[in-house]
Amino acid sequence: MSEFFDMGGYAAYVWPSYGLTLIVVVLNIVWARRLLTRSREEARRRLAMRGGGDT
Amino acid sequence: MAWTWFHRLGSPPYIYSLAARLTPWFAWPAAALILGGLYGGLVLAPPDYQQGDGFRIIYVHAPSAWMSLMVYMTMAISAGVGLIWRMKVAHAVAASCAPVGASFTVCALVTGSLWGQPMWGTYWEWDPRLTSELILLFLYLGYMGLRSAMEDVQRADRSSAVLAVVGIVNVPIIHYSVTWWNSLHQAPSVMKLARPAMPASMLIPLLMMLLGFTLFFVAVLLVRLRGEILSRERSASWIREAVST
Amino acid sequence: MHRSAAAAAPRRAGAGALAMTSALAAARLTLVRDLRLAFRKRGQLVQPLVFFAIVTTLFPLAISPELSRLRDVAPGVLWVAALLSSLLALEFLFRDDAHDGTLEQYALSGQSLTWLLFAKTVAHWLLTGLPLAVMAPLAGLSLGVPASAVPGIVVSVAVGSVALSLIGSVGAALTLGVKRSGALLSLLTLPLSMPVLIFGARATELSIKGGDFSAPLQLLGALAVLGVTLAPLATAAAVRINLE
Repeated sequence: MSEFFDMGGYAAYVWPSYGLTLIVVVLNIVWARRLLTRSREEARRRLAMRGGGDT
Repeated sequence: MAWTWFHRLGSPPYIYSLAARLTPWFAWPAAALILGGLYGGLVLAPPDYQQGDGFRIIYVHAPSAWMSLMVYMTMAISAGVGLIWRMKVAHAVAASCAPVGASFTVCALVTGSLWGQPMWGTYWEWDPRLTSELILLFLYLGYMGLRSAMEDVQRADRSSAVLAVVGIVNVPIIHYSVTWWNSLHQAPSVMKLARPAMPASMLIPLLMMLLGFTLFFVAVLLVRLRGEILSRERSASWIREAVST
Repeated sequence: MHRSAAAAAPRRAGAGALAMTSALAAARLTLVRDLRLAFRKRGQLVQPLVFFAIVTTLFPLAISPELSRLRDVAPGVLWVAALLSSLLALEFLFRDDAHDGTLEQYALSGQSLTWLLFAKTVAHWLLTGLPLAVMAPLAGLSLGVPASAVPGIVVSVAVGSVALSLIGSVGAALTLGVKRSGALLSLLTLPLSMPVLIFGARATELSIKGGDFSAPLQLLGALAVLGVTLAPLATAAAVRINLE
């Protein structure tokens, strides 16, 4: 197992690469969800401000 | 009519609900492929005969580099469609692409430089691939900078679309000129990605990662797209239904 | 006061006369008008050139006064300085005309906006690119470049700056609606200008070494031709978007 984590002496380069990629992937998920939630809230606020009156 | 599908693609409520329905169909296969690719790349694939285990960076570097270019192309094509047919949805797709592409470009640059340290003995080499990648990052930053500088969404959409189209015309020129520049000043790059003799045990995880990242991009794009559509549709009545759940 | 009133006269005359002329004649009128206006404001006209001279002076101070070392970096210095000087003048390319409504008049004149804006870009090149091509060898000589390299430097800067002006016109048009656009303009323009920098510096380097610089010069020419065909279209599209 420790052999696996050692990566033949390249651990200092391999694991940061994978770690960074993981961070980028997770960040993209978080950003996308946050964008959607925020624009939903924004849309709700706009609808509420119009006081229920339809377009 | 054969063109109805095209008109439906331009209809925000249709795209909004379609995007919501399609997202899991891309997200879960993406997760499965990436996890499978990770296992194949980190565990099953044998160490490279020259680079040892250091070559395993390819399984994150190559998909990131692929994403940076593929996302830019998607962005420029949908920006062009938005300009020509004045399609709001196409502009929303283009706007959704930029942050995703820019983040993976950063990822490709950093993983490339982490790969470079053991292979070249230095974190940064003015290698044509890394240099083009850096210029591509600048193109993304310019696109995002232009968008954020404009308050009106429609104007931002159309101005940044012109920039994206100009950018995509320039991408091959930049790539060619950088390769040409590099060939004058130093011996061909030490790091060769596309070796034809890559054994299947190394190649299959790589292909899985490439496909997985592509599907991941589509899934993220679909989520972002819904947000962008909502912020563009100021007063449509369908929004009430869309946000009520 | 006196000067600005005098400057306003050909502005109006230029826009009014456009309605009934052919596209080429209209473009020529625009070009003449822009040149005339520019010569009224000589201070602004020489600014990019002074900037170029100052930037090329910074390098010997920063690196070393040894001509042998400066000669090696001269192509890079000349081209980076030329790129930045061309950029400096871009902010004013459409700005005044956008503020006083001239661009709107152009868009409504019934003339091809593409041609009119192309004429303005040609004026920009005549006023910055061409003078830079004349100045570059002088700056080059101060960096230890042999006199035999002068023709090569003049030709490569002249051709390369055509492409720079055209790329810049797209950037200037895109940032029309943005306040304090300077930094954004450079962020948009510089990445797109990198091929010009590469081929231009190579042509200059070869002419300094006494080699045959026709290959990079032809590539520069290709970039200029591509720019002439595509950039005015993008510029016109961008101006229209930002006028709406």
